[in-house]
Amino acid sequence: MGNPKEIRPTMTLNLEGEPCPYPVVYSLSSMDQLKSGEILEVIADCPQSFKAVPEEALRAGYILICEPVVDGPTIRFYIMKP
Amino acid sequence: MQKRGFFFSDVANLFNHFWNPMLTTVIAGVLSALYFGVTGTSWAVTGEFTRFAGHLFPIIGIDPHSLTYIDKVMKLEGGPFDRIDGWVVIGMFSGALFSALLGGNFKLRVPKQRRRLVQGFFGGIIAGFGARLAMGCNLGAFFTGIPQFSFHTWLFMLGMAGGTYIGVKVALHPVLLGKPKLEKAVPAHRSLESKKSSKSSLQPILGMVVVVFSLALIAWQIATGHAKLALAGLFGIAFGLLIERGQICFTSAFRDLWITGRATMAKALAIGIIAATICTAVIISLGVPQKITWAGPGALIGGILFGIGIVIAGGCETGWMYRAMEGQIQFVIVGIGNIVGAGLLAWGWDHWGLFNLMVKEWPKVNLVESWGWSGALLGTTGFMLLWYIFSDYWEKRVRYVTQKSGQIVLMHGEVERR
Repeated sequence: MGNPKEIRPTMTLNLEGEPCPYPVVYSLSSMDQLKSGEILEVIADCPQSFKAVPEEALRAGYILICEPVVDGPTIRFYIMKP
Repeated sequence: MQKRGFFFSDVANLFNHFWNPMLTTVIAGVLSALYFGVTGTSWAVTGEFTRFAGHLFPIIGIDPHSLTYIDKVMKLEGGPFDRIDGWVVIGMFSGALFSALLGGNFKLRVPKQRRRLVQGFFGGIIAGFGARLAMGCNLGAFFTGIPQFSFHTWLFMLGMAGGTYIGVKVALHPVLLGKPKLEKAVPAHRSLESKKSSKSSLQPILGMVVVVFSLALIAWQIATGHAKLALAGLFGIAFGLLIERGQICFTSAFRDLWITGRATMAKALAIGIIAATICTAVIISLGVPQKITWAGPGALIGGILFGIGIVIAGGCETGWMYRAMEGQIQFVIVGIGNIVGAGLLAWGWDHWGLFNLMVKEWPKVNLVESWGWSGALLGTTGFMLLWYIFSDYWEKRVRYVTQKSGQIVLMHGEVERR
């Protein structure tokens, strides 16, 4: 469970207000543009994406480098390209 | 006193996370059968939206009672507070609202790309129109329709499967897809600690206010001798709570299959419908008459249109209801679109000859009459099991793929072996 103290993402994708299915589509498309070892920060507030984004990132072969960070109705994910 | 503390912390914990979609869908399926037993009508919402359209027709100078669909098919009388369907809709809104508030999940969400609002409106119209052409949406013609053993729901489901595929092509077309703002990350420190639905916030208190207010409304109905309406309202509250907490998105059941191969909702719905089918069969065998409607091109084409509409809009008739209550502005607009679309269909039923063209000549096929009880039960559960197996297989084989040009395409098979 324990999250690391510090994460330095390479890119940020702010998807606040974006409804389904765009958070998943945007996140996965953005991951495609990253290089190996780079980290994408995704900020989302579409409740469905709370589960869909991390689960689909894993299914696509990416790594979640920490537990999703919840801040009330908003959530942040840190996804790394292996 | 200590016991009380335990109780409240247990309740608070329930709202700290979203519930397992399959379990929630099964509960909704069982409840929907009970609702049918109590009220004699199935859990549905678009019929009521059509009546809302009926209430609005006088604004544009049309007498709603001059339209067959609104006067004869939907039997428009009184206001939402006088109708079972009205109370279930009101209940769903309040259930979804307090569920979102108690979970600290309410937030005014406005899409940054304005095209989403236009999309929501037109998608909503197409979905509202298609649903009423098929005599029901994801509920009446699918989730609570399949358990009624009316064959038109099978046509609707097939139509919806195809329609959502077309909808995905439209929604992911560059014109609608747009471009996300992918930016270089600011190197500042970020807190990596989760703040679970801030306890100090006003939301849980407002949520409790909504709970008390809704229960008072129900109590008032019972006190004034409208026990049936009160029960419909109570069921509505439970349905609203379940769809919000379980994030039960009927749209995603098909859409996600076509985009990423995700089958979470498809599998949950297949099992939920099996549960609803078995429980509904018990109610029917106790003597409550089934809801059977025309199995013809209206159901199939309605399903296709509905499928296209819900994917473009981002949610179906139940989806917009709980999302609007979470503060998602786009889905308020989808709801308005739904009502406009249902109104258009009601107009076209007579004036464009839709009834004569697509509905009138076609039989109302009752699977219990055609196949007998065992055939109807085995056929329906078998159909749902097949869908479950298909979704499971599909999920294992299909992944999301971005093309080099930025175009998003589907990729089939060969994923596992790479």
